[in-house]
Amino acid sequence: MDILIVGMGKLGYKLAETLAGPEHNVTVVDVDEQALARAVNRLDVLPVTGNGAQLQLLESLGVKKKDLVVAVTSSDETNVLICLAAKKLGCPRVAARVRNPEYAGQIEFFKEQLLLDFITNPELDTANDVARYLLRGYSSHLESFAGGRVGLFEVPAQALPGVVGRALAEVQLFQDTLVGAIYRSGEVIIPSGATVVEAEDVLHLIGRREAVTALIREHSALGQRHVARKVMILGGGKAAFYLAGRLLANGLSVKIIEQDEERCNYLAAQLPGALVICGDATDLDLLQDENLGEMDAIVSFTGHDEENLMLALLGKQHGVGKVVAKVSRSNFVPIIEELGIDRAVNPVLISAGELVRFIQGGQIASLSLIFGGQAEVMELVVLPDAPIIGVKLAEARIPPGVILGSVVRRGQVFIPRGDFIIQAQDRVIAFCLHRQLPELNKLFYPKRRGLGHELWFGRKGSGQPSAD
Amino acid sequence: MNFGLVARVLGNLLLIEGAVLTIPVGISLYFGERGAVIGFLLSMGVLGLTGLFLSNVPAKSPRLKAREAIAIVTLGWVIVSFFAALPMVLSGAVPSFVDAFFEAVSGLTTTGATVLTQVEALPKGVLFWRSLLHWLGGMGILVLTLAILPTLGVVGFQVFKAESPGPTPDKFTPRIAATSKILYTIYTALTALMVVAVRATGVPWLESFILAFGAVGTGGFTPFNDSIMGWSSNRPLMVVLAASMLLAGVNFALYYDLLKGRWKQVWSNSELRLYLGITLAAVLAISLNLYGRVYGTIGETVRQAWFQVSSVMTTTGYSSADFDLWPSFSKGILFALMFIGGSAGSTSGSVKVVRLLVTAKVVKREIAHVLHPQAARPVIVNGRVMSSDVVHGVVSFLLLYIAVFALGSLVISLEGVDLISAMSATAATLGNVGVGFGAVGPRAGFAGLSAASKLFLSFLMLLGRLELFPLLAVLSPNFWRE
Repeated sequence: MDILIVGMGKLGYKLAETLAGPEHNVTVVDVDEQALARAVNRLDVLPVTGNGAQLQLLESLGVKKKDLVVAVTSSDETNVLICLAAKKLGCPRVAARVRNPEYAGQIEFFKEQLLLDFITNPELDTANDVARYLLRGYSSHLESFAGGRVGLFEVPAQALPGVVGRALAEVQLFQDTLVGAIYRSGEVIIPSGATVVEAEDVLHLIGRREAVTALIREHSALGQRHVARKVMILGGGKAAFYLAGRLLANGLSVKIIEQDEERCNYLAAQLPGALVICGDATDLDLLQDENLGEMDAIVSFTGHDEENLMLALLGKQHGVGKVVAKVSRSNFVPIIEELGIDRAVNPVLISAGELVRFIQGGQIASLSLIFGGQAEVMELVVLPDAPIIGVKLAEARIPPGVILGSVVRRGQVFIPRGDFIIQAQDRVIAFCLHRQLPELNKLFYPKRRGLGHELWFGRKGSGQPSAD
Repeated sequence: MNFGLVARVLGNLLLIEGAVLTIPVGISLYFGERGAVIGFLLSMGVLGLTGLFLSNVPAKSPRLKAREAIAIVTLGWVIVSFFAALPMVLSGAVPSFVDAFFEAVSGLTTTGATVLTQVEALPKGVLFWRSLLHWLGGMGILVLTLAILPTLGVVGFQVFKAESPGPTPDKFTPRIAATSKILYTIYTALTALMVVAVRATGVPWLESFILAFGAVGTGGFTPFNDSIMGWSSNRPLMVVLAASMLLAGVNFALYYDLLKGRWKQVWSNSELRLYLGITLAAVLAISLNLYGRVYGTIGETVRQAWFQVSSVMTTTGYSSADFDLWPSFSKGILFALMFIGGSAGSTSGSVKVVRLLVTAKVVKREIAHVLHPQAARPVIVNGRVMSSDVVHGVVSFLLLYIAVFALGSLVISLEGVDLISAMSATAATLGNVGVGFGAVGPRAGFAGLSAASKLFLSFLMLLGRLELFPLLAVLSPNFWRE
């Protein structure tokens, strides 16, 4: 696909990083030469300096022949303008980032009247993600596939009895579900039957949704539905605004602490159900006065990563059940979760996931970036001429780093074992380390590249250590 | 440093080199040159084994960084040159390894300087191999690797940047593999066209290939002992060669623009304009200087001046006349042209016109600053503001180039040759021109130098071809420290 990305901020970069590769031709536009230099030195993309909203520039880049234009500059208005211009110049699909809450009500108008195909709002997506987490039980539901039939859940290994210290193949619990990925000290492992579970592991279970839910509910020591009732949000930015709205709608009690008086008044006016406290979120006395220790959850959404981290840890220390911190640098997500913070959310990763899901649309029905982008879970519809059809999985030479989690055939969910044979039209949910993506594609897409490509990959695969 | 992965890429590079050797093998077989065939086959064996060994070295991780990219490019050039010298030695055509290495480096860096006096006595296969090296080195051996083995990871751009000539590399498609493929397609088409054109002027087929490789790769090896002087009465050949050298000195990205129908953009390109302008001015000045003194007719004068200017300016180094006998003014102009070279993104060597353009604008800005110290005057080339990083890079390149030239001249003067010979030998190798004045003039070649000087000049050729910084970076001790 020919893709034009305007704006090389964090989101633009993450998006380019995810998309650039043999499947897509990515051109990136920004006014900032340094941002472009950073991208072009690390990614296989074409950099163009200039204002992406300029018709002349868009035309000279051949926007008519592009398959997609994504506008992710820092300004909402510019993004909408870029998309409008691209659409009028003949680009079939356009997507924009629009983050101002005041435009949230007119998203449908943007889509219908201004012909924007997709709009992402990182703060809204982040708020939704956190809300989903707070409103669920201990083990968190991450993603649904195949129209909700298949679910992906995250469970700490210790929460399940008789799992720690044993190889996955020996564990009786995992009859109807499958461990698709293990998260171990900052690294993602795509396990095999012989992988031994360690105490600190976080397991990612996939399978028929009811089966996984039942498994967690029946066996997990901590699996009772435990919903946070009292939530304190530190910092009153956009994400906080959206989150408070969602939580209030679900009947939770919400307390927001925000320093800026004007902002406080705005929040109080817009969110009548919430208690807005005007003060410094890092002031411990204030937090204690506001009963920090009695909260079921605190969410630190201030503008500084360090503050968020410290406040979340402080919450943990005071016995708050769930602490969530916003992190603006995606690489830090794994480290921060290791420090004992229940959930570190990164708006860029969440938004990039949403955009990639929209972009891959056709072939890959659903995709999510997990673990800071190290691995992907995707739903593929098997094409009639895919190489994997008709071969027993044990003999299909599935590379290490790839696991087929579930297969949905005519509405039924299967956990594929070694003797399973894939048919055309099956929906396959696969886990894959990001760098093994080309290998996975080889199984599902008919060969179409030249001998040189084959030689290179063939050679490259031969001596490579399997788990690094 | 991820040695495993560097070794792996270098192994692939050697395998490609081994595969390319089948062409001269075929030629030697056709001409019944037994010694050469054996030499080539032995070299292919060595290349194959080394290549297979290196490409199976286990790598710690599949990630390449900028440091590895630089290592790949510089080590790649050295290793490929080393192995390119093998067939010349093993076939017995060039008994001394230092001589063979000099020829191989001279070939790959498109210098065209030769230490051989009896070129015509070489087996045809070896003769062809020497010139094929020009062709491969012209557009770049790693660009070729990028084109046919499309995955060097994302580091491909770093490799491309280090190998392609000029301050700002032209990546004109989103994926580097596609850019490399387009460049090689244009390059191949231009070469094919020129082979046919040269053949049409009455040169035999094999020699047509060799001359076209030398011209389009801006190399300068010919199949004759006296460069191209023996053919200088063949007017169509002179015109075809001069034209192909000029065409090869143009940024190949501009040909892509032409194919895309962007005429205006090409015509308004300031580097192209300056390149053509300098060529025209030099031809005019030399013609006026030569007319009546060296050549009698206007036609002959302009033809000789044009040929020699194209040859030196594009750093090819073909000589249609012994220009060492020309008046000092003409020689001075040719010497100055050695420091200019062709355009960025072409196959030519030396400083490149665009660097001259940027430097001139910087100087102009400094002069303007004397009058208006507060004036904001960005350096603008082709309507685009050059970032200060690029400007600094260009200026320091120029300074370093002059410093290396001065030091190199000093080293060569130890040979006991006169200063002009020492200076032009350094300029001709550092700038990948291949021909100088005096002891290294059109008739003399580099045969008279000692083995130490030959190795030193080989180093200068590689230094010039890779545009100084990558090779110097690899030589700095910091490069190897983690």
